[in-house]
Amino acid sequence: MPREAEPSLNEREFVLKALQENTRLDGRELDQYRPLELTFGDQYGVADVTLGKTRVLAKASAEVTVPYTDRPLDGIFNIATELSPMTSPAFEVNRPTETEVLISRLLEKTVRRSGALDTESLCLVAGQKCWSIRVDVHVLSHDGNLIDAACFAVVAALRHFRKPDTSMEGGVLTVYTPAEREPVPLSWLHSPFCITWSFFGEEGEIALLDATWLEEQVRVGSCTISLNKHGEICQIAKLGGTPVEAVALLQCTNVALSRAKDFSAFLDRKLAEDAKRRDKGGLLAELSAENDR
Amino acid sequence: MPLDTSTYSLGLLRVDGRRWNELRRIHAQIRTQAAADGSSYLEMGHTKVMCVVTGPTEPGPRRGGNVGSAGGAGAASGGQHKDAEVLVNIVIAGFSSVDRKRRGKGDKRTLEMQSTVANALAASLHIHLFPHSQITISLHVLSQDGSLLAALINAATLACVDAGIPMTDYVAACTAGSTSTYAANDESADPLLDLNHQEEQELPGLTVATLGETDRVAVLVCESRVQVSRLEGMLAVGVDGCKQVREILDRVVREKGRKMIQEGTVERGTGLNDMDVD
Repeated sequence: MPREAEPSLNEREFVLKALQENTRLDGRELDQYRPLELTFGDQYGVADVTLGKTRVLAKASAEVTVPYTDRPLDGIFNIATELSPMTSPAFEVNRPTETEVLISRLLEKTVRRSGALDTESLCLVAGQKCWSIRVDVHVLSHDGNLIDAACFAVVAALRHFRKPDTSMEGGVLTVYTPAEREPVPLSWLHSPFCITWSFFGEEGEIALLDATWLEEQVRVGSCTISLNKHGEICQIAKLGGTPVEAVALLQCTNVALSRAKDFSAFLDRKLAEDAKRRDKGGLLAELSAENDR
Repeated sequence: MPLDTSTYSLGLLRVDGRRWNELRRIHAQIRTQAAADGSSYLEMGHTKVMCVVTGPTEPGPRRGGNVGSAGGAGAASGGQHKDAEVLVNIVIAGFSSVDRKRRGKGDKRTLEMQSTVANALAASLHIHLFPHSQITISLHVLSQDGSLLAALINAATLACVDAGIPMTDYVAACTAGSTSTYAANDESADPLLDLNHQEEQELPGLTVATLGETDRVAVLVCESRVQVSRLEGMLAVGVDGCKQVREILDRVVREKGRKMIQEGTVERGTGLNDMDVD
């Protein structure tokens, strides 16, 4: 298995020395994110997130299936993460690396276990039919901070997604095509966002947000905090690494909360813009035979 | 099974009769397997864990397709490194919990715990002293009743001490929780120490591991929804619990050392003059 080239000793030293002097190689503040961009696809439920040179694409899709026997009243919701060799030669198809497992676990805990999507609303006929919502996360380019970008993409894709409308009449379930009935949004409860801190220095005393790939390679530890704008923590993961002062972690959480609020506002704005772009002025305008000449 | 919170507010006692700041009984042994380099057995209440450490040894053949033993140490993961690689393998016995659930080798939760234990210990062990080698930690879960990750970390620490691998300090772990769910926004919520399975299912909680007697947090895992304001209290109680756990682990190690000197298994060292052996 080819291995990712590690930064040279000089490079490592340079990054760390610069950080000791509160300087990052790209000139950002320690708690500053790279420019975040979000574009929605033509289809519903496709979100393309760019964070500096990191790029993640998430696509949500829905199909009607049979619910799990132990949960007859719940729909199915899955997040599939794929790190392809396109991103880095260290990733192989069908053999999940540790990074991939950890990312998918984090996304699962942040979005699924925190109850962001109301799975009960996905039930169509108890024990027989339900919606299965699946989000595929594709990492197109890896320049650090995959988790934050992937989580943002997943939340954006799900909030943008519309599933076909259905109706139940006399025991007959009808799934309408988009032409027959306007697709409906998912029943979404809250939007969690991941914020990852990276720690540097002997005792992890330097903390910074949105590390690039080079910074990630030389860091001594990291802590991913997932929050929504209501100030609820959905998940915290500091999985080992150099120990960090407990008080510093609390401060990190408070900063993360304000970042989560920023993300939330940004996503709301983007969704509103997209809705405006798609809105053709109702059914009458859409059915009108008049053409612009 | 909902926790009867009314009982709590009446007697301020939890389902198993503990107060908010009490740990469950921790029983630990080291050197349980004579043939292993290091071994330990740890009980935290009804959570029972066994640990065997092998190494530092020469790295074996590359693990091709063996997903079960993932968990490289820190920055170094690959062929040749200047630090020892810490590999952790967790086996959860089928009989360990109430519902006999089979977990496959690729279970993500287990993989995550493996990597957490590996990274937490790699930061405390002096792995730079053993270049081009590997330390394998095998953990076996015999019984589960909450605070599993904490028990695994404690058992692994003890086994590493037994194996005689130089380390900065103990990595001691425990869990902390909060008495009301995320929905209830009451400020009077009490923090709780050392959650059992029932409390873990019902209440928000987190796992903390600290390094020695300091307040420095090596592992912090929270998997439930909880208000930000609740975090400080839970973390404070958790860190305090870790110090208590450290004391217990330290006592176990000292007790074993004393016994070994008395039995004449090891020579009495020069630095032990202050230790009361007889």
